[in-house]
Amino acid sequence: MKNFAKLAAAAVVASVVAGAAVAEGLYTPNLSYRTGPFAATGIPLMNGQKDYMAMLNARDGGVGGVKIDFEECETGYSTEKGVECYEKTKGKAIVTQPWSTGITLQVLPKTNVDMIPILAPGYGFSPMMDGKTFQWAFNMPSGYWDGADMILQFLASEGDLKGKKVAFLHLDHPYGKEPLPLLEAKAETMGYELLPIPVGLKEMQNQSAQWLQIRRERPDYVVMWGWGAMNAGAITEAVKTKFDMSKMIGVWWSGHDADLAIVGDKGKGYKSISWSFPDASSGVMADVKKYVVDAGASQSNETEMQGVFYGRGLVMSMILAEGIKVAQEKYETAEINAEQLRWGLENINITEERLAELGMSGMVAPFSTSCSNHTGNSGGWMLEWDGAKFVKVSDHLVPDTSAYADIVKAKAAEYAEANAPWAVNEACEG
Amino acid sequence: MLYRTAGQFKTSYKSDQALFPIKQDAFLLGVILLFAVVIFPLTASEFAFQTILIPILIYSLAALGLNILTGFAGQLSLGTAAFMGVGAYACYKMVTLMPWMNPIVAILLSGVFSAGVGVAFGIPSLRIKGFYLAIATLAAQFFLVWLFEKWAWLYNYNASGAIQVPNLDMFGVYIAGPQASSVVQYFVVLFIVALLTMVCINLTRGNLGRTWKATRDMDIAAELIGINLMKSKLTAFAVSSYIVGVAGALFVFMWRGAAEPNLFDIPLSFRVLFIAIIGGLGSIMGNFLGAILIVGLPVILNLVPGALGIPISSATVEHLNIMIVGSLIIFFLIVEPHGLAQLWRLIREKLIIWPFPH
Repeated sequence: MKNFAKLAAAAVVASVVAGAAVAEGLYTPNLSYRTGPFAATGIPLMNGQKDYMAMLNARDGGVGGVKIDFEECETGYSTEKGVECYEKTKGKAIVTQPWSTGITLQVLPKTNVDMIPILAPGYGFSPMMDGKTFQWAFNMPSGYWDGADMILQFLASEGDLKGKKVAFLHLDHPYGKEPLPLLEAKAETMGYELLPIPVGLKEMQNQSAQWLQIRRERPDYVVMWGWGAMNAGAITEAVKTKFDMSKMIGVWWSGHDADLAIVGDKGKGYKSISWSFPDASSGVMADVKKYVVDAGASQSNETEMQGVFYGRGLVMSMILAEGIKVAQEKYETAEINAEQLRWGLENINITEERLAELGMSGMVAPFSTSCSNHTGNSGGWMLEWDGAKFVKVSDHLVPDTSAYADIVKAKAAEYAEANAPWAVNEACEG
Repeated sequence: MLYRTAGQFKTSYKSDQALFPIKQDAFLLGVILLFAVVIFPLTASEFAFQTILIPILIYSLAALGLNILTGFAGQLSLGTAAFMGVGAYACYKMVTLMPWMNPIVAILLSGVFSAGVGVAFGIPSLRIKGFYLAIATLAAQFFLVWLFEKWAWLYNYNASGAIQVPNLDMFGVYIAGPQASSVVQYFVVLFIVALLTMVCINLTRGNLGRTWKATRDMDIAAELIGINLMKSKLTAFAVSSYIVGVAGALFVFMWRGAAEPNLFDIPLSFRVLFIAIIGGLGSIMGNFLGAILIVGLPVILNLVPGALGIPISSATVEHLNIMIVGSLIIFFLIVEPHGLAQLWRLIREKLIIWPFPH
C-alpha cells in the first residue's frame, strides 16, 4: 500500500511536470512511420523533417519567436493507426501531415470538415492542385502528374517518343495508379505505346513475372512508380535481367540511395525525377550540423544525411515553416491558428533569393502557390545514380501544366460531387 | 456474496431457459448497456469514439460472425476479411447506384451478398475438413481481393482504385461520410451490433445452433442422429458470412470512410481470427472481450507514456506496444487456453460460491 501511495504520488508529480513541460508553441504533428514495412524509406525523411524544425528552434527560437512543437505520431504506415493519430492530434494541431496515400485519402474529406490544412509535399492526390475545390489540401512543390510530365519531357529530349514503347511499372495501389490518367492522355498526343505493368503488394520483393514480361515486350523505357520494398525489388531484378539501367526512370519516391547502394556500380545510369536535391555543403546543412547534430539531438547519421531523402525531409519542413512565416506576417500574430496557416500555405512565394537566404539554393526549385494552385509546380531535376550517389543530369525541368489543367478540374469536380456537400473556397477566383 | 444465487428459484421450464436465469447477470448487462447507451455518448471525446468505441464494436461483430462458423460449427476459415470486403463493396455499389436507399437498410442488405459468396466458398466444406478447409477459404481470400483490385466497376472506375464513402443522410441527419458526427455513427453501429448479437444469441441457443454444435463436435455422430450436414454447414457459412459482411460494411461506412482493396487482405483476417480465439471460440461474449484486448488496449497503451509525462519517442512507444500486447496475448492463452470468455466464466463460478467455497 505504501508503495502504491508512492507510485501514485510519483504519477501525479510526473503529470504536473509533464503538463508544464508540454512545449508551448505551434503544434505541427507529423504522422511518422519509423516502424513497419516502409520504415527504411520513412526514417531518413522523418529525420530530415524533424532536424530542420529542431534547428529552427535552436537557432531562431522557432518561427517568428514561437517554438515549433513538431511531435511525431507513429503510424507504421498503417491507415488505421493514421486515423488514430489524426483524431488524437487534431484538437490543437494547426496542420496535419498524413504521409501515406491511404491515410491521405481517409483524412482528406475529414480535414475539409474539421478545417485543418493537410500538407502532403510531393504525394497524395494529384487533383489537390485545384485549390478552389481542395481548399485545405496542399501538395507542393510538385504533384505526381507534374512528375510524370517531367519524365516524358526528359524522354522526349532524348529522341522523339513516337512509336516507342514505354512500360509503366507501378505499385498496384492508389499511389501507383495516380499518374495513369496523365500517361494515357499523353500517349495519344505524343504517340508512344503505354504498357502498364502492375506489381501487387505481395509481389513487391519478387517481381520475376513482371520482368519476364518486360523482357518479352522489350520496351524502350521503363517508368517506375514504386515505393518501399518494391524499388529495391525492381532494381535488383533489372540488374539481374541485364536491362539497360539508363532506360529506367523512377518517380521521386523511387530514388532512395539505400535501394541503389545494394547494386552499387551495376545500377549506374538509373534515373529518378526529383523536386529536391541534397547538398551537403549548403548553409542549411551546416546549421543543422551545428545546432542539432553536434548537440546530439539528431537521430540521423553521416551517410543518411547525404542522401536524397534526408534532404527532401529538410525541404518539406522548410515549406511548412515558410507557410507559418507568411501567415504570421499577414495576421501580425505569432500564435497563428489552422485557418491562418491555410492562408499562409497558399501564399508561399519561394524565390531564388529566399532560397539563398535559407541556405537552400539548389535543394529545391523556386515556386509559389496561390488560392487556385495548391501545388506550385516547382518542377525539378533528373537525377542519375553514378554508382555511389545521385547527381543532377538535367537542367531545371518545368512541367507543362496546361496539358492537364482540364483533367485536374474534372477530377476535382468529380471528387467534390461524390462527397457532396463539399465546401469549396468561393472567394477564390480562377 | 455478490453473486449469490440462493433464493432464485425457477418454477417453470421457461424461467429455467431464460437468457439470464441469474438476476446478477441481467443486472450486469443492464449496467453495461447503461454505459454503452447513456454514459459513453455523453462523456466520450471524438478521439474515444473514433479509435476505441466504434472500432471495438465493429471488430466484435466481425469476430462474432467468424465465431459462428469456427466456434459453433467447427469450420476453420481464413477468409473473413474478404467476406468483409464483399459487404463493403456491395454496400458501396448500392448507395452509389441507388442514392435514395436508406443507408441502414443498405448496410443490412450488403450482408446478403457476402452470405451468397460465403455459401459458394463453403461448398468445399462438405468434402474437406480442418486445415484443408482453411486452405480453401484462403483461396477465397486471395481471389476476392484480386477481384476488388481488377473489377473496376466495383469502385466506379475511380482512378485511384479506392472507394470513398459519400455523405449519406437519414431523416436529415448525416450518418456516414465526412459530415457525419461520431455520436450518430456510434449509435448506428451500436444499434446494428446489438441487434445482430441478439439474433446470434438466440440462433446459437436454438435448433440451428444445436445442429452446428453437433456438427462441430463429431460430424459422423451428427449425421447418424439425423442431422443434414450439408444444411448445417452451409447455413453456418451463410449466417457467418452475413454477419461478417455487415461488419465489413460498417467497417468502411461507419468508421474508415475510405478503403482500398488491400485493406481486406489477410492481415485483417488474422486479426479477426485472433480476436475470436483470444475471446473464446464458441462464445458470444468472448468476441467483445477479445476486441477490447486486441483493438482497444493498444490505443490506451499508446496514451500511457504521454499521460505520465515519460518522454519517449512515439516510435519507441509503438515498439513497446507491440511487445506488451503480444506478451499479454501469450499470457492470457497460458492462463486460460479457452479464451477470455472462459476466464470470465470461471471467475463468475468462483464468485457464486464465494466466500464459502465448500
